[in-house]
Amino acid sequence: MRALRETPRHSATAPATSGGDKVAHPVQTHIFNKISPTGHFLAPCGIYLWQSDPIYGRTPHESPLNPMATPDAKPAPSGLIPVALAILLFVWFAQFAPRIASGEVIRAGFDWAPSLGVSLTFTLDGLSLIMALLITGIGALIHLYARDYMAGHPQFNRFALYLTAFMLAMLGVVTADNLMALFVFWELTTVTSYLLIGFDHDSANSRRSALQGMLVTGAGGLCLLAAFILIGEVAGTYAISQIPDGALKNSLFYTPITILVLLGAFTKSAQFPFHFWLPNAMAAPTPVSAYLHSATMVKAGVYLMARLHGDLGGSGLWIWTLTLAGGFTAVFASVLALRQTDLKTALAYTTLMALGTITLLLAAPVPYALTGAIAFLVVHSLYKAALFLVAGLVDHGTGTRDVTLLSGLGRKMPFTALGATLAALSMAGLPPMIGWIGKEVIYAGGLKTPMPLLVIGAALAANALMVAVAYLFAIRPFWVGKTRAPHAPHEGRWTMWIAPVVMGLTGLGLGIYPHALQQLVDPAVVAIYGGEAKAAGLHIWAGLGMPFYLSLATFTLGALIILAAKPLSGLIAALSRRLPVFDAGWDSFLRGLKAFAAWQTGVIQPGKISLYFAATFSVMVVAIGLPLVLMLDFGPLIRLPDLNPVLMLISILIVAGTGLVLRTRERITAIAGLGTVGIGISLIFILFSAPDVAITQLLVETLVVVLFAVAALRLPQVRDMTPALPRVVALPIALGMGAVVSLVTLAVTATPFDAHLTDWFAAHAYPDGHGLNIVNVILVDFRALDTMGEITVVMVAAASAYALLKGLRRTKGSPE
Amino acid sequence: MTSADFSAVLPEVLLALYAMAGLLFAVYTSKDKAAPLLTWVTAGVFVVLAGIIALSGGADTVAFNGLFIEDAFARFAKVTILLSGAGVLAISVAYLEKRDLLRFEYPVIVALATVGMMIMVSAGNLMTLYMGLELMSLSLYIIASFRRDSVKSTEAGLKYFVLGALSSGLLLYGCSLTYGFAGTTDFAGIASVATEGEISTGLLFGLVFVITGLAFKVSAVPFHMWTPDVYEGAPTPVTAFFATAPKVAAMGLFARVMFDAFGNVTDQWTQVVGVIAVASMFLGAFAAIGQYNIKRLMAYSSIVHMGFALLGLAAGTEAGVSAMLIYMAIYVTMNIGTFAFILTMERDGQPIVDIRALNLYWRNDLGRALAVMALMLSLAGVPPFLGFFGKFAVLEASVNAGHIWLATLGVIASVVGAYYYLRIVYYMFFGAETEALDKPQRSVAALATLIGGALMLIAVINLFGVGDMAATAAESLVR
Repeated sequence: MRALRETPRHSATAPATSGGDKVAHPVQTHIFNKISPTGHFLAPCGIYLWQSDPIYGRTPHESPLNPMATPDAKPAPSGLIPVALAILLFVWFAQFAPRIASGEVIRAGFDWAPSLGVSLTFTLDGLSLIMALLITGIGALIHLYARDYMAGHPQFNRFALYLTAFMLAMLGVVTADNLMALFVFWELTTVTSYLLIGFDHDSANSRRSALQGMLVTGAGGLCLLAAFILIGEVAGTYAISQIPDGALKNSLFYTPITILVLLGAFTKSAQFPFHFWLPNAMAAPTPVSAYLHSATMVKAGVYLMARLHGDLGGSGLWIWTLTLAGGFTAVFASVLALRQTDLKTALAYTTLMALGTITLLLAAPVPYALTGAIAFLVVHSLYKAALFLVAGLVDHGTGTRDVTLLSGLGRKMPFTALGATLAALSMAGLPPMIGWIGKEVIYAGGLKTPMPLLVIGAALAANALMVAVAYLFAIRPFWVGKTRAPHAPHEGRWTMWIAPVVMGLTGLGLGIYPHALQQLVDPAVVAIYGGEAKAAGLHIWAGLGMPFYLSLATFTLGALIILAAKPLSGLIAALSRRLPVFDAGWDSFLRGLKAFAAWQTGVIQPGKISLYFAATFSVMVVAIGLPLVLMLDFGPLIRLPDLNPVLMLISILIVAGTGLVLRTRERITAIAGLGTVGIGISLIFILFSAPDVAITQLLVETLVVVLFAVAALRLPQVRDMTPALPRVVALPIALGMGAVVSLVTLAVTATPFDAHLTDWFAAHAYPDGHGLNIVNVILVDFRALDTMGEITVVMVAAASAYALLKGLRRTKGSPE
Repeated sequence: MTSADFSAVLPEVLLALYAMAGLLFAVYTSKDKAAPLLTWVTAGVFVVLAGIIALSGGADTVAFNGLFIEDAFARFAKVTILLSGAGVLAISVAYLEKRDLLRFEYPVIVALATVGMMIMVSAGNLMTLYMGLELMSLSLYIIASFRRDSVKSTEAGLKYFVLGALSSGLLLYGCSLTYGFAGTTDFAGIASVATEGEISTGLLFGLVFVITGLAFKVSAVPFHMWTPDVYEGAPTPVTAFFATAPKVAAMGLFARVMFDAFGNVTDQWTQVVGVIAVASMFLGAFAAIGQYNIKRLMAYSSIVHMGFALLGLAAGTEAGVSAMLIYMAIYVTMNIGTFAFILTMERDGQPIVDIRALNLYWRNDLGRALAVMALMLSLAGVPPFLGFFGKFAVLEASVNAGHIWLATLGVIASVVGAYYYLRIVYYMFFGAETEALDKPQRSVAALATLIGGALMLIAVINLFGVGDMAATAAESLVR
């Protein structure tokens, strides 16, 4: 049961009713409350009434049935807005159907970010139209259903908003002509899917599943972005319709583009080995599972493969990858579906199977197979959305989705059973459902592919398993045995069961009159394959051919599997325990990533400044030392300078000073050592006849040592002097850095000195500055302004030092 | 020195004079009591100067014999710097006042740092470069340790100073090598020596050392180590400042040196910059995953973003510079919005930096939760938010320049990076029940978050023309 989170304001309205009166539920009032002063009008403040249920006469302990909603709440009227929107869009798209069927392609658009070459152009051709009709048509039914399913949920409006946003984004995906726009819509579907899977955010499982789906499809989406940028570069345009024929296939980047596109498509359409997120996505409310994770969003990947089929398809890479991944996913998923007991999870696996089959059929550049893919896409959306909704109704009406606990529901839930049966028949591919035609075309198309045995084998196995799953999950719970369920089963409202029934009847209607679907499939196949393509005919009776015999084989195999369902299920369970579990693999991947991040941070960012220095110097040694060693001609460098004994002595003095700094632990000694180095350097200046520089250096050195010493005496003694870095590591870095600097200095001094400045000053000092000492002339004449600046700085510094010292004395003198 | 020269540096001169006048005013009047007023006036002065610079337009001028360059590129960078500086000052007043940290020196030092930054992006000579850089750096060292009674803040200031001094040393070493081999400190002069394919070894090493020093300032890997520690230790408004204006200035300077001085030998440095860029993106992205401290997280985030900006620079083309400028403008906007939010994160009046404290924040304030979501998604580069277009521009420039692998690596890094931004969103909307943060109060910072969040979606429409301005700016730099 959900936690009660009402605010005191609303608790006053909670009526403690009992018995026959219909409960006036406060939810309806609060949904239309004005935005509260704090701004969170969506804050949950519903009251959950489980005390009594006047409609069905349940006692409190029997509820709740649906964790998402209060059973007796009225659906919010606001939920009708998206329904109306979806219907309007459906009608709007449908009116293009005759024009599309006659071969026309409709385009519209405007510039979005012209400086980046991104324009929002839309194309409506056969493929887009089929997808758009599915999205809006099924969308309208799902919105209607969700309104009841989520009735009384305190965040229903949010839910409806997300679902509507998804619908619009998905329409964007299927109609966008510009690759960048397509990518944007693509990612929007990922984001809305994330929000919807994690809608029940009190559940850790929902949150985990949402993140998993987001990360897997998001990563795929970014692969797609890389692919689209490459396509834009190769083709010179981001408009799909303007990519020149063969431009991609003949380019050097064909392989990376194809791999990246397929990574995007496979993650979105949950093809092996990226399939694991889809069953987990069933944590979403059932309408979401039906809509996003079965009928539409997961088809985006398939749609993309179809859309780019003409530009990328036909190569060995494409054919083999799609055939193997699709075929394997189809069989593997349908086998796993058999062992499930939860209705939704079982349906999720069959969705994987369907996506696998469509992928399989998209592999070959054969119009017949493409017809199969499109027909099956429509067929699957119709029956699978219906079955998901049925699962929701069953959940709603009985309190469980576990098929082992359910039987004979048909008598109590007749309309649900009708919808379920129609959908199941279509799923099993029995005539006269559209599923039968779909299956026939799959077989007919499969026979025409370059690898008929592989394709037909996979399709046969998957279809036979589908027959079994259809029976076990959608027929048996309704029609076999005595009525049995954890709670007295009851039918849902008409607004709920209408959706599966309409979808089921559509499946039946299209089966009887396949010409209607043919009208849409023809231009779609043309859109995928190219102008000269001819789609296969969709007929309810295609004659006694190979496809027909294969269908018979499917039914026989399916029947056998049904009979052997129990032992088979045990066998599969035993088998799958031995297989590597992708879901667990995902967890360990995330753990590994976090551990890696922590490790990296620990190593690189320990907070010790000496380590930062070590890192900087190591990089310098490698980045400068390596090219230096590789590039330099060492011959002219290795020349010992004229061995002046005085110079040697001074050098020894400097080295000794450095050694003192390194070895000592006393600050004063270290400073003295540094002073020694400085004095050595000033001696060198004297040796090279630059007494003025030497005097400056000497003065500065003395001053620095004195000042440091004064400061050091005031500082507290540091006891712990253990170096952050072991000496074995520090030594080579220090030596390396020293060597690099020495080498750079040697290399620099080896090149001839550019004396034009010296010459200029020598030539101009006397005539222009009237001075014989060039340094003096520079200081007081050529750079007089600089000198004045320097003096000013020294003055200011002295003044502030005086002020500081005066302040110091004052604080010392005062008692505080 | 003619009047034309002075009119070119007029904004800098005005700002410097203002800073000194402000200092005198505060010292001789009410000291810290004048600080809020002074901060607001400083922000106002920034905005006015930005307006003057933006509207002055006109031809590119080279003043003081090439020391100072006033062109479209400099103007673009200066306007971005001034506006982000004003933004940061505006959002930080309330925070500093509440914690009794608002000293009158703060706005003055920020103004002086800003003068330094403006000089940096206009530098036409190694001397000007160093002068601007040090004016900025010295000011920043001081405000990093502004909170003198806090050990962390002091440590941050010291670390920043020591490592900054090291980087300045490396930069100076590079400058002197460059001077030694080019015979001039003038960028134009260096460029005439470093012509196509002809670059002496000494000049090359000078270039490498200069790049190293600049990489420190933009906190690019492997010279980024100071960033997380300083970001964490410094008072949050200071961190916000560090993350915005100085980054723009350093990137501007980077571009300035690379194109004005070494523009004829792009192939010599594009690879180095590319490697630094990729390393920054990856290290930043991975290191941020384990962070719960939002300030450290933003530090790593800025490392990643600098990587992306450098990727644009590494393209070595006009489009690359334009992309880099767009990226920086967007980056600054996102960061001000985000830091405005961080400034208001508090529980029982105490500032909180742990992102786990954001659990279910949307119940507190849905509007700002949504704004932060927009900011985070934008930082992660999720379309259709503004940040995506920045990334897109950079990647496109990079691919156009033939750096397909760099671009691919950039995409992968941004996938990894998305993880930690999304985690913040996740906590805000789906987190576990924990002690909630304080209810937000009406403040400039709260408003800035909302505006920032809204901009992430609204500005997508045409980027407010920033794209075209950046293109003009890039054109003036890459001739």
